[in-house]
Amino acid sequence: MHRQPGKRRKNRHSPQSALSYEAAVSADVIENINHIKQILQSPSDLTVRVFTFGQKKLQCGTVCIDGLSDRSLINDHILQSIHRLQYSPELVSTNMTADEFIVVLENEVLSAHHIEMTSSLDKIIGSVLSGDTVLFVEGSKHALIVESKNWPRRALEEPSTEALIRGPRDGFTESIETNTALIRRHLHDPALRMETMKVGNRSKKNLVITYIEGIVHPDLVKEVRRRLESFDMDIAPESGFIEEWIEDSFLSPFPTLLHTERPDKTSAALSQGKVAILLDGSPFVLIAPATFGNLLQSPEDYYERWMVGTLLRILRYAAAFCAVFLPGLYIALVSFHPGMIPSKLAFSIAATREGLPFPAAIEAIVMITVLEFLREAGIRLPKPIGQTIGIVGGLVIGEAAVTAGIVSPVMVIVVALTAIASFAVPAYSIAISFRLIVYGMMLAASIFGLYGLVLGYIVLNIHLVNLKSFGIPYSTPFAPNLSDDWKDLILRAPIVTMRKRPEMMQTKDEQRINNGGSMR
Amino acid sequence: MKSFEYGDQEISHKEIMFAVPSMVVGLGILTLPQRIAGSTNASDGWVSILGAGIIILFFVWITAKLAAQFPKMTFVEYAARLISKPAAITITLLFSLYLLMFTSNIVRSVANVAKDYLFERTPLEVLMLVFFLVVIYGAAGSRAGLLRLNLMFFPVALIVLILILLFNLKHFEIDNILPVFQTEWSGYMKAARESLYSFLGFEIVLFYIALMNRTQKAPKAAMVGMTLPILIYMIVYIVVIGVFGNQATSQIIGPLIDLAKEVIVPGQFFERIESIFFVIWIMTLFNTTAMAFDVSIMALNSVFTKMKKINLIFITSPFVFLIGILPNTFHEIMTIGTWISYFGIFFSMLLPALLFIISKIRRVRGYG
Repeated sequence: MHRQPGKRRKNRHSPQSALSYEAAVSADVIENINHIKQILQSPSDLTVRVFTFGQKKLQCGTVCIDGLSDRSLINDHILQSIHRLQYSPELVSTNMTADEFIVVLENEVLSAHHIEMTSSLDKIIGSVLSGDTVLFVEGSKHALIVESKNWPRRALEEPSTEALIRGPRDGFTESIETNTALIRRHLHDPALRMETMKVGNRSKKNLVITYIEGIVHPDLVKEVRRRLESFDMDIAPESGFIEEWIEDSFLSPFPTLLHTERPDKTSAALSQGKVAILLDGSPFVLIAPATFGNLLQSPEDYYERWMVGTLLRILRYAAAFCAVFLPGLYIALVSFHPGMIPSKLAFSIAATREGLPFPAAIEAIVMITVLEFLREAGIRLPKPIGQTIGIVGGLVIGEAAVTAGIVSPVMVIVVALTAIASFAVPAYSIAISFRLIVYGMMLAASIFGLYGLVLGYIVLNIHLVNLKSFGIPYSTPFAPNLSDDWKDLILRAPIVTMRKRPEMMQTKDEQRINNGGSMR
Repeated sequence: MKSFEYGDQEISHKEIMFAVPSMVVGLGILTLPQRIAGSTNASDGWVSILGAGIIILFFVWITAKLAAQFPKMTFVEYAARLISKPAAITITLLFSLYLLMFTSNIVRSVANVAKDYLFERTPLEVLMLVFFLVVIYGAAGSRAGLLRLNLMFFPVALIVLILILLFNLKHFEIDNILPVFQTEWSGYMKAARESLYSFLGFEIVLFYIALMNRTQKAPKAAMVGMTLPILIYMIVYIVVIGVFGNQATSQIIGPLIDLAKEVIVPGQFFERIESIFFVIWIMTLFNTTAMAFDVSIMALNSVFTKMKKINLIFITSPFVFLIGILPNTFHEIMTIGTWISYFGIFFSMLLPALLFIISKIRRVRGYG
């Protein structure tokens, strides 16, 4: 049931070979350009500029993709620099070979901040498609790749899925350079490592694995790398693809990787010995490994004072419990064990249920499903209408259904509480898992009452203790019990007492407070 | 030295420490006060519990010590080095049979109690099947995971138990406890024998210690784990006698559940606490059953090494279920339970002691 990601997939054929071009750069500029045009089938955004240089009319050509590259950079720093070269004869002698000329261009003329010389056409095409400009010179079997990436980017915004009252307001964007820069802004640590790799046979997107050397357990990095290297899909449009590919068990409703839009959360995770995975084009950064406790933590726990943080944590655990078990509990108590409800409450519940057509189980399942409809509708609709659907849905569920005698008012309260509780869970990925599990619990409760509910709870726990995230048991530090890590689990101990990094991460550098907290 | 290594399937001494009480505390505690109260005066039964507990602690030490001498070796492997291979295999198979019987007995009892306290009309077989399916799911998962479940469930059950005892303190009458030490010598013995049965189950450490990474901590951990049930039994017994008195206690089948009935939660948030107590108690009963089943599968697997664990589970589980259905009355279940306890005495006390003595005489040790 728990597969080892990447192990079973055999690379039967290599699709890479069908998409790569072994050809080398030829000495003829026009031939090179035609070759590129032929491979890309001359798309409309391919911009080619052929020009001659000097008295010998040396032919040169630039190729780039319009829209991905910076026009002013190409004009000012490539074309103009070469043109001005004609007026500085001390740099170029007339009997220079093309290869010598291209070295002069690279070292002394072009003022771009990153230039690479290559003779591989495959690499040139890859660079051009990612926004760089390539420069060919007649007679040379080398070409220069000048970095000129520039495309419309979104400005930094506050992450909408993880809004906080207190904390930094910046969030990741779709551009990986911005995202790595945001992490670096939080960690000026020279030991911060960023490994780049390409994912997707066709999309060839940049993916960065980042961690802090000296804190992280080396096996964890190895394992992350191994799983990522097994990624063998055509495209990777979002980090969700990566997540599902490398997670430990795709049969589990629980997420075994954390995703976040917050640089502060990412850097805090890195400093605890975790590994972050950034994918170009996705503002969601993956953090591995993740345990159940991690998913109920929010950065705000640490930004507010510890007592408040602890209260919030306890509330969140209670909310998680309600989000999963409340409807089941209601069904079990109302339809199987009415004797367990205090008599007065039992009477008032019975009074409201008088004349209702459906048993509590059907009522609960239908109401929870309607709630899910509302949630989905609310996300799809444009924001102004989204609020309208909230009001309309609320009215329909809350008022009309009760007045019409289809559902009981207590049921409405239970459903509303469940919804509120699931919104209080900070990680969206686990909140949606809870929405899934709640159906299982309702089913168990509607067949076997409390007995079914407690067996459901046991099954859930069996699943959790068997689940692993990158080799770390998902239920750590509850079980295996690591008492030191309990300081930062349900309670959030004062930061001065959290002297060590989490034991479960097996960090190489254990000390979080170095001088024994000399401030105290 | 780190107690938990990255990506570890092994268990630490903490798991053993919790496995022992989770295994021992189960159904026995529900009926123990009734069985003891008959043969002792007033509250004197606690002496018998303590006496039986001390004897048991000694055997826990022997059992854990024996297994700890052979790190990373399965029971059948080290038993074969002590008492020839055929004998070891026979004993392991019998051990497995005993635990399978034990499993089926608890599965049946859980269903019976569930029928009494939660459902009146649902067929017994269905209640059994659902519980047993969950047990199978637990045993089919990783062994370390199953042991880690103890760490999650046992504290919850313990807290609920302590709450029930605390809420009953206002019904506690000191007169019920007095006079002390008025029991005949034979009465103490009889009660001690009864309580001895309730302490059985720790023999699982014979198998689970093979999973430990540092076995030298095992004997201490198992003994610390065992003191918990001894204390729980003594406290529960004294509170039960204090609330109901010796006479009444000897007539009530499940005094602990009746104790829960007396509880009135402040604010009257819930009524009929005994149902909630039983629901929570299902978690420890699950632990007991799942571990018993898991160890019997482990024992079978150590003999039939080529079989897959999951196949063994699928082969044995129908038999366990059918044996569980067989008894007709609660009385029959109890009788079978007593017979299983006799086997338990052999496997948890006589057998480890015998093997331990042989290992000392022949100076056989493991490679660790």
